[in-house]
Amino acid sequence: MTITNPAFESDVRVDVSAIEKSLAEIWRSNKDDGEHALTRAALWNVVAHTSSREQQAHASETLSKASAAVPQRSIIIRSDPAGRPEIASWISANCHLVSGGKQVCSEEISIVAGGDRIHRIPPLVNALLIPDMPVAFWWLGDLPNEHEAYVESLLDPADRLIVDSVHFDSPADLDLLSRVAETTTTAPGDLNWMRLGEWRAVTAMIFDPPHMRSRLSAIRRVRVISATATDSFFGEMIEALLYASWISAQVGHQVDAGGNARGLAGTIDYAFERRRQSSEVGGVVFAEISFEDGSVASIARDRERGVLTANVDGMVTPPCVARAKSQRIDELIVRQLSRTDRDVVFVKALAIASRLAKRVAAG
Amino acid sequence: MSSVAAPTQELATNPLREGLDQERVPDASCLVIFGASGDLTQRKLIPALYSLAHDGLLPTGQTIIGFARPDYTDDAFRMAMRESCEKYARTRPVDNAVWENFAQSLFYVQGDFTDGQAYVRLNQRLRECDRTRGTGGRRIYYLAVPPQHFPTISKLLGAEGMVNDPESGGPFTRVIIEKPFGHDLQSAKELNRVAVTTFRERQVFRIDHYLGKETVQNLLVLRFSNGIFEPFWNRQYIDHIQFTVAESIGVEKRGSYFETAGITRDIIQNHLLQLVSLVAMEPPVAFEADPVRDEKVKVLRGLREFPRGREPENAVRGQYSDGSVLGEKAAAYRKEENVNPESKTETYAAMKIFVDNWRWADVPFYIRAGKRLPKRVTDIAIHFRPAPYPMWRRLPSVNVQPNVLAIRIQPDEGISLKFDSKVPGPSVRTAPVQMEFRYATSFGGEPPEAYERLLLETMLGDSTLFARRDEVETAWAWLDPLLNAWAADSRPPDFYPAGTWGPESADRLIEKDGRKWRRP
Repeated sequence: MTITNPAFESDVRVDVSAIEKSLAEIWRSNKDDGEHALTRAALWNVVAHTSSREQQAHASETLSKASAAVPQRSIIIRSDPAGRPEIASWISANCHLVSGGKQVCSEEISIVAGGDRIHRIPPLVNALLIPDMPVAFWWLGDLPNEHEAYVESLLDPADRLIVDSVHFDSPADLDLLSRVAETTTTAPGDLNWMRLGEWRAVTAMIFDPPHMRSRLSAIRRVRVISATATDSFFGEMIEALLYASWISAQVGHQVDAGGNARGLAGTIDYAFERRRQSSEVGGVVFAEISFEDGSVASIARDRERGVLTANVDGMVTPPCVARAKSQRIDELIVRQLSRTDRDVVFVKALAIASRLAKRVAAG
Repeated sequence: MSSVAAPTQELATNPLREGLDQERVPDASCLVIFGASGDLTQRKLIPALYSLAHDGLLPTGQTIIGFARPDYTDDAFRMAMRESCEKYARTRPVDNAVWENFAQSLFYVQGDFTDGQAYVRLNQRLRECDRTRGTGGRRIYYLAVPPQHFPTISKLLGAEGMVNDPESGGPFTRVIIEKPFGHDLQSAKELNRVAVTTFRERQVFRIDHYLGKETVQNLLVLRFSNGIFEPFWNRQYIDHIQFTVAESIGVEKRGSYFETAGITRDIIQNHLLQLVSLVAMEPPVAFEADPVRDEKVKVLRGLREFPRGREPENAVRGQYSDGSVLGEKAAAYRKEENVNPESKTETYAAMKIFVDNWRWADVPFYIRAGKRLPKRVTDIAIHFRPAPYPMWRRLPSVNVQPNVLAIRIQPDEGISLKFDSKVPGPSVRTAPVQMEFRYATSFGGEPPEAYERLLLETMLGDSTLFARRDEVETAWAWLDPLLNAWAADSRPPDFYPAGTWGPESADRLIEKDGRKWRRP
């Protein structure tokens, strides 16, 4: 249960010591309040970068829900370079009841900056981070790859950069994310990659039996179909790209700069198709892996049953079935924050996706 | 384009598993549950297997065959198991899509443990599953039956050729057995002897469900993944350690079993000594089955023997009398169903024990376990020595108290550290404060049930979290003299009212050393 207490909200000047003092006041004023003991907890600092009121409200609601599973100090930035030169901040607490009737609360600090005042954001954020706790930077919307220096300055303290590549409008965004992975200590994370978790799980199941593992080297074609609302928006194809790139990376296919792939026995055909539909836009809806003997493994979502299933021609074993997981943004964020290490598999897939992207963008 | 990755023809692992929640996936096998109509199957095993399926942790084709006397069809068995999952599974309500798939993996074979023909039918069913479900001859036999059936089952499995010798290199056969692992050293040795006539030791998985608990496994993480604890984890800094396994319930319907066991055999010989081993062991060279178990056995071997002829000198046994627990009236043990009205069986035991080795020389470990205590709690409290020099001694307002690191195994799992702090104000006054870590607060969600973890480990063939033969026998060898002395003593145990923390003699046991039991 989420309890947001508006009484906690108070305007403060953007003065770090004043913010810290107000935070302390929140905890002091609630120490003996009510019948439930109040516990303060944080495993992460999560900084959300937004550029509109709507995004800011969305980030606040999402992180409030996510903090029930991963306690965190949330810092939500609304940055508007074209807006009035102003900077303001306020605080609130997100409280959740956990077993034993305890209330666990995490802080939320909001910062709004416009005009040239946006340059004050990075040092302010730095000062407000809880020491020794990792920092995740959640960038809402498309990455501003034309302002790489600005992104880098904000990312300076970040251990993790979380994006949702479904919003990317060009392969340059994937390149930027790939460069973050290659040239900084910030580990990239993508909500689209989290959405793929169940697709990866059910695909892996196909190759769990020892006799199926040898078929990995016999893959000749990977065909992935995405649900799309347009004929050309790049972000709608990225989940499919990441899926194919993951197979390629893990099996050991070589993908050149032009996006051409080769395996042990020759060229591997990676095919990406769009299927127009109004729901689950950007998501993979079907995947097919063809082997050199002509057999095919197909993976599909069974929406009615809430599962993904995989079948392979001629296999006697039962079909592989994986439960479809929730695709709510707050749950994707929780899955991102649940792992503290760098996701090396994603980094490998990302590098290949950047190359395969050229084919998709060109097509 | 130049080189490509190595051929995948001989892959030992599935590369697509890298980075997924479950990186290691067992090969599909047939898990046969002997005693499939029993309580353990319905309350723990099938709900645990369903939860594993729900979380996508069972391999495709994993097959579960119930074997018991009642005449069920596959469908009737599936229906009964669904009801169990609705009541007891961690992941509730039951997800229809997951259940539908899971139910297809459930089968039932009717038979008596002593009937050779029933094993023929079972074997036919197993072979059929190998053909239709890809289980490849891999077998796990779960003996969810009283230990007296173990010799018969294991003999008939062997006679029907249903056990594959791992030395032959074929598909694996494993057997899971439940506690009690014997009644004393002699019976434990006999059980183990019977086991190895059909199975090799590495095929035998002895379940102590405490080892499947997240918090118990966290003991090793706490000690060996944090640099700050291990330097203090020895006689130089630790004054004593208290172990408490308290249950608020009585013996319920287990009166006849408990009459022959008592709390010492039921809890101390297994669960509590496992906790002692994990707290006292040296760092293993690897987190693998034999290195971990080697170190645990060394602790058990270091347990100081009870003084001959004076075995109960540092031990107390108790039995609950009429009282009340959690606001409800509770009848005395002797009034429980299937309990002798003059029973001498202990429902409470406390001991002061020592691990005689370099690290723990003369550090007392106070252990206690009991039924009908005020609440259900399992807790380990490490009491540190006081600061070496009492610099505040002239200030009466300063009452320095030793630090206590408390590890709560269940419920409300977590770790707390008690230390002194100055009370704000002009004078120097101190008060104990607590730093707390709670699993629920930091990680949220429900941790997996112990049986989920242990079943999965068996499928993977990893016996790190299972008791080895020498662990079991060493524990019995240490405890037997005390149990024999108690058996020979005509006096009844010390009585304690239900709902209290045990008999007064238990308080005296620790108070004579100038210490007292911590209230967990």
